[in-house]
Amino acid sequence: MALLKLKNLSVNYGAIQAVRGLDLEVHSGEVVTLIGANGAGKSTALRAISRLLKVREGSIYFEGREITAQAPDAVVRMGIAQSPEGRQVLARQSVLDNLELGAFVRKDRAGIKSDIAKMFQLFPRLEERKDQSAGTLSGGEQQMLAIARAMMSRPKLLMLDEPSLGLAPLIIREIFSIIRNLNAEGTTILLVEQNARLAMQHSHRTYVLEAGQITFTGPSQELLSDERVLHAYLGG
Amino acid sequence: MDAVQFLQNFLNGISIGSVYAIFALGYTLVFSILGIINFAHGAIFTLGAYLTYSLAVGQFGIGGLLADLQLPFQFSFTISLFIGAILSGMAGVLVERCAFRPLRTRGADPLLALVSSLGVALVTVNLLQYLVGSEIYSFPSDVYGDIRPAFLLHIGEKLVVVRTVQIIIFAVSMVVLALLGYLIGWTRIGKALRAVAENASTASLLGINVDRFILYTFFLSGFLGGMAGSLVGTSFGIAGPYFGVSYGLKGLAVIVMGGLGSIPGAVLGGMVIGLAEAFVPSEYSAYKEAVAFAFLFAVLLIRPQGLLGSSQIQKV
Ligand SMILES: Nc1ncnc2c1ncn2[C@@H]1O[C@H](COP(=O)(O)OP(=O)(O)OP(=O)(O)O)[C@@H](O)[C@H]1O
Ligand SMILES: [Mg+2]
Repeated sequence: MALLKLKNLSVNYGAIQAVRGLDLEVHSGEVVTLIGANGAGKSTALRAISRLLKVREGSIYFEGREITAQAPDAVVRMGIAQSPEGRQVLARQSVLDNLELGAFVRKDRAGIKSDIAKMFQLFPRLEERKDQSAGTLSGGEQQMLAIARAMMSRPKLLMLDEPSLGLAPLIIREIFSIIRNLNAEGTTILLVEQNARLAMQHSHRTYVLEAGQITFTGPSQELLSDERVLHAYLGG
Repeated sequence: MDAVQFLQNFLNGISIGSVYAIFALGYTLVFSILGIINFAHGAIFTLGAYLTYSLAVGQFGIGGLLADLQLPFQFSFTISLFIGAILSGMAGVLVERCAFRPLRTRGADPLLALVSSLGVALVTVNLLQYLVGSEIYSFPSDVYGDIRPAFLLHIGEKLVVVRTVQIIIFAVSMVVLALLGYLIGWTRIGKALRAVAENASTASLLGINVDRFILYTFFLSGFLGGMAGSLVGTSFGIAGPYFGVSYGLKGLAVIVMGGLGSIPGAVLGGMVIGLAEAFVPSEYSAYKEAVAFAFLFAVLLIRPQGLLGSSQIQKV
């Protein structure tokens, strides 16, 4: 059974149809990449899964349960976390408070504490800046905070919307190796990326979204050598 | 003005200013979360005063539907004040449900909530008039139990008078401020509240139920408004159902003076306006309100963003 399943999902902004009839599955333990041109509807799909947008048609299932009409906080409780596009850290609160708020749905004080320690191990830069307000972090540090914060809810499914956006190549590598580690520790990941090649190299399967619809899907290794994908998305 | 007169004015000013501060914070909290002014806040102020009065005195006045009604209970002032504020908080929740949420869920322009909250205010005030009439309600002088009505400070030949109710007002307001500061600054609820204020959709991505926190905010706001109304009412009497209107305007002056959406700004603004009023010489006391507003304009000429506001309007 798929951990996450989108069935014929359509999402609109007023009259604009941003996602049309999207079918997508993420299985437990996988890293799945969603790529596509600007405006293809990737962020829209993630926002719909997090229940920030109304679904016009189709359904969303998580662990076999339909969540199409759930509230955003309810799906976080069920185990879906998102690090949104453009990071969206709470600029006026401290790094530590951002992490604590990431664990808002949890009640196990001791577990939260040890997870914060773990995030600091993963991202030592955050520990050095833990009392600083998040708005004063650099772009890369904010990205780390957004990922760490999403992890703090101990999600079964972690959705990352362009984690490499605007980062230096060295930090991008760092972020991807962290993604790989998180997955190795058991977190399932749905990854949206402009950096298609790197994302595909770090994922099991890939979906290609074009104008709100899936045009290609398959194991990332295969798509990486597919002529058409190569041409359109990998600059080859 | 000599030093003793100065001291007298100063003490009067910080007492009433502290109440302005907690009242104005009610506006600030809602503004921080929704970015709009809740015009029903002045009506809640009035409602709170009547609630505390009826709980503490156990009966109503000579006008209105409830004329001469004797309540089967009567509480001490402290308990009445507390219950009155809690009930006012619930009224705040009701205001959210009636005037704000229906518009929000339909995606209406937030400015429309100004109008709907004004509507709720009018209905509340008219309902109060219907129920309790329009005469002045004064708290009985023994409402605090058996304590002296005032403290006299002899300074040389001169005398500084501090009414007990002024001390009560100041002390209660300070306790409320301290608790609110702790709640918002240090607790999990407060952090979540600030997250909602900063970015509601990010907050919901963290599993925070935004609608519930908006309700909490209106409860706190109503609690503060009702408590402020009760405190002013015990000091000066409840001057009819329209009693809250002028305080409502003054509260707006306070938050504009302090900086819209700023919590420390509301506190400072309340103190400044309270002091400005207190220093108006008694022969001009009819112009007190005008003086407060004139002071506000003067401050805004120098700092358009308010005393503690940031140059861009920023929430909390
Ligand atoms: N709030 C909005 N209101 C109206 N249209 C929107 C809104 N957000 C996105 N859209 C439109 O929906 C379509 C999909 O946008 P979306 O943000 O999902 O694209 P994306 O695939 O994430 O693109 P990018 O790679 O640039 O982040 C675009 O055509 C966009 O213009
Ligand atoms: Mg996007």
